[in-house]
Amino acid sequence: MNRLDARTEALTSVSTSDPRISALENQLKEAAVEIAELRARDALKTQFLANISHDLRTPLTAVITHAEILRDGILGELSPRQMESVRGIISGGRQLLNQVGEILAYARGAANQLTVVPSRFAMRDVLDQVSGLNESLLKKKRISLTVEADDDVPVVDADREKIAHVVGNLLGNAIEFTPSEGRVWLRARRGSAPGVTDGPESIVVEVGDSGPGIAPEHHDLIFREFAQVDSTPSRQHHGTGLGLTIARKLVELHGGKIWVESQLGQGSRFFFTVPLRQPD
Amino acid sequence: MPAPAHVLIVEDSDAVASAMRILVESGGHRVSIAPTIADALAIGTSDPARLVLLDVTLPDGDGLVLVQPLRAAGAKTVIALTGHDDADTRRRCLEAGCDDVLVKPVPARELVARVDAWTGG
Repeated sequence: MNRLDARTEALTSVSTSDPRISALENQLKEAAVEIAELRARDALKTQFLANISHDLRTPLTAVITHAEILRDGILGELSPRQMESVRGIISGGRQLLNQVGEILAYARGAANQLTVVPSRFAMRDVLDQVSGLNESLLKKKRISLTVEADDDVPVVDADREKIAHVVGNLLGNAIEFTPSEGRVWLRARRGSAPGVTDGPESIVVEVGDSGPGIAPEHHDLIFREFAQVDSTPSRQHHGTGLGLTIARKLVELHGGKIWVESQLGQGSRFFFTVPLRQPD
Repeated sequence: MPAPAHVLIVEDSDAVASAMRILVESGGHRVSIAPTIADALAIGTSDPARLVLLDVTLPDGDGLVLVQPLRAAGAKTVIALTGHDDADTRRRCLEAGCDDVLVKPVPARELVARVDAWTGG
């Protein structure tokens, strides 16, 4: 029950014949109807987002696959300049596909349609896998990446794909916001979120970077949906603004926590926890 | 190189189907395209395919209803190709009897290699 529902119930349970109270009761009933309508509309919008993201995948599949046919020489060899152009189509198409995927993940999260499909895996493997996917980007920006996992980090029982998604979003941001020649790192250790003393045993994953850092007053904002610290049309960093919201949703789905430690000019360190076992 | 096989592509998007046709034909196979469940049944029974690449969202219904009839008509391998990359869709496809589930877009070279493997056995 949310706060508003709780208050509504507390107020409506006061029984009296005072006409002012019954007027208030009526107002409350109207407000309750309005809230229900807004929720229904919000659910519709979420469903629309899910449908449109899926429908966008079909034309994108056509664009990417046809371009790959040309790139792979299936219809004959291309000149170097033709090849460069076709690679541009594929790269743009793949970026768009990722963004559509993020919107779909967000829509599912907002509609509470996400479920944890657990399997046992080593966190180190996920860190290596996500690093591998970002190799060319790291090379292009000449950013160094270190991956570390303490020896005592146990195997986790979690949704591997979703945890990889979280690491991917955090690493993607770290690379995006870190200037050339900078440094990013991934680290896994045993531990828990700050202030959590009696929670289940968990692993802490850190994604750090030597980028510009985030002012403490923005630490909450960045995890909110569609939020970007710089949302002006001239902003230098693009994207759906959903990456961290999705990461938070996926971490919380596992019963973990996500947070950031950062100051302007001192880089950023994002952390999240994954309980070793999913609650039954 | 495996012997040429008849491959049925069930896909309602012309643009996606034409890309898949090019890829499958590049492996020397013969391709039929069915944009609907009705077309797939008509082709699959009159000219049975060795391999079926099946889009699960079709204009006349859920493509998974085709798995059993196409198998009965002689299809040895049925692969679901879907735009949904969630666990639920994957499970539904496997439960319906598909041999594997791939999320679109499958990289071009990977599709060519996989088609060879599926038609080779």
